[in-house]
Amino acid sequence: MIAPDWFREDRLPHIYCTGCGNGTVINCTLAAVEEMDWKREETVFVSGIGCSSRAPGYILTDSLHTTHGRALAFATGVKMARPEFNVVVFTGDGDLAAIGGNHFIHACRRNVDMTVVCMNNHIYGMTGGQGSPTTPPGAISTTTPYGASEPAFDLAELAVAAGANYVARWTSYHVKELTKAVTTGMQTPGLAFIEVRTQCPTNYGRHNKLRTVPAMIEYIRSHAMLVEKYNRLTAEGKPIPEGTFTVGELVRRSRPAMGVRR
Amino acid sequence: MKLVIDESRCKGCNLCVLVCPYGIFQEGKELNSRGIVSPALNRPERCTNCRLQALYGRTLCGVCQMICPDQAITWVEERPFEPHRVEVEF
Ligand SMILES: Cc1ncc(C[n+]2csc(CCOP(=O)(O)OP(=O)(O)O)c2C)c(N)n1
Ligand code: SF4
Ligand code: SF4
Ligand code: SF4
Ligand SMILES: [Mg+2]
Repeated sequence: MIAPDWFREDRLPHIYCTGCGNGTVINCTLAAVEEMDWKREETVFVSGIGCSSRAPGYILTDSLHTTHGRALAFATGVKMARPEFNVVVFTGDGDLAAIGGNHFIHACRRNVDMTVVCMNNHIYGMTGGQGSPTTPPGAISTTTPYGASEPAFDLAELAVAAGANYVARWTSYHVKELTKAVTTGMQTPGLAFIEVRTQCPTNYGRHNKLRTVPAMIEYIRSHAMLVEKYNRLTAEGKPIPEGTFTVGELVRRSRPAMGVRR
Repeated sequence: MKLVIDESRCKGCNLCVLVCPYGIFQEGKELNSRGIVSPALNRPERCTNCRLQALYGRTLCGVCQMICPDQAITWVEERPFEPHRVEVEF
């Protein structure tokens, strides 16, 4: 296994369903933490509520498993009180963008020095598959039985617009790139936001004609396009296939940040 | 080193089958004692990690281990004089 010094092996196997991408995202984040050479006593994982938010429970550090949507508010508190700590937030699309939407934009605006990893599975996984703000138009969920009719949030673009210092997006298929992005995010002062498009085979795949785990990840992989290629195609006026999303580093800058260790 | 799937953790998602460039993991056919169909290994000694991990002092490739959502893939030390299949690839 990856990062045996960081996993709570006594808690494994975890409760995630077969093929749930959350396990992969934990692997990549912990691989990045290992690369950073952080100390366990100086690292805090914070999360809200959701399948994704259970991640800190499998990690051998102090952590805060807070109320739904409030992970970033608690994490801001931790960072302000103890700026010497490394703060990592695990959150889901519902946790971050629905109930926690305001905390998200303001944490980005304040540019609080922490790393936010969002496992975006386009659904409320834990509560049985209700639509979330990132459910793509047309997708079936228990609250959109005839297909979602609302446009979806682009979480990474939202973080760019709100002011985060580092923003990247990858998928649970791109494990090496994701690990690298999380590492870069951890090295960047200010808020680093990494969106991970990931699979929820149980509550998303099953209802959207992606019945097996490999089918679901293959769908995500094939709809990812490098941001450089996307920009080139749009500049040339070429068509972009429907359902495509960009992956790669969307921004790296040095706006003034809060909570940076002096 | 030897590639092993920890059957007490594997949930049989077959993501390792999807990613290994050598096709070392193959969809399993039999239920194990936990009621899960874990992948079968097809000549795992072809994985570069089995031969070179100790020499290089780090994990090479390792994509299967990274993507495995259930932390079930590892390389373990072999016991001395474990039988080996010798494979000549042309
Ligand atoms: C205040 C409050 N409202 C609603 C809920 C019910 N609830 C629990 S998890 C969840 C959604 C989780 O979705 P997401 O953050 O995307 O996590 P996932 O399970 O998909 O990883 C909701 C609505 C709650 N626990 N607390
Ligand atoms: S419901 Fe979805 S997100 Fe939750 S553990 Fe199962 S597959 Fe993962
Ligand atoms: S490390 Fe790479 S080559 Fe070796 S088994 Fe895993 S995916 Fe295959
Ligand atoms: S990726 Fe892991 S959990 Fe999935 S089948 Fe392979 S060994 Fe089992
Ligand atoms: Mg979700």
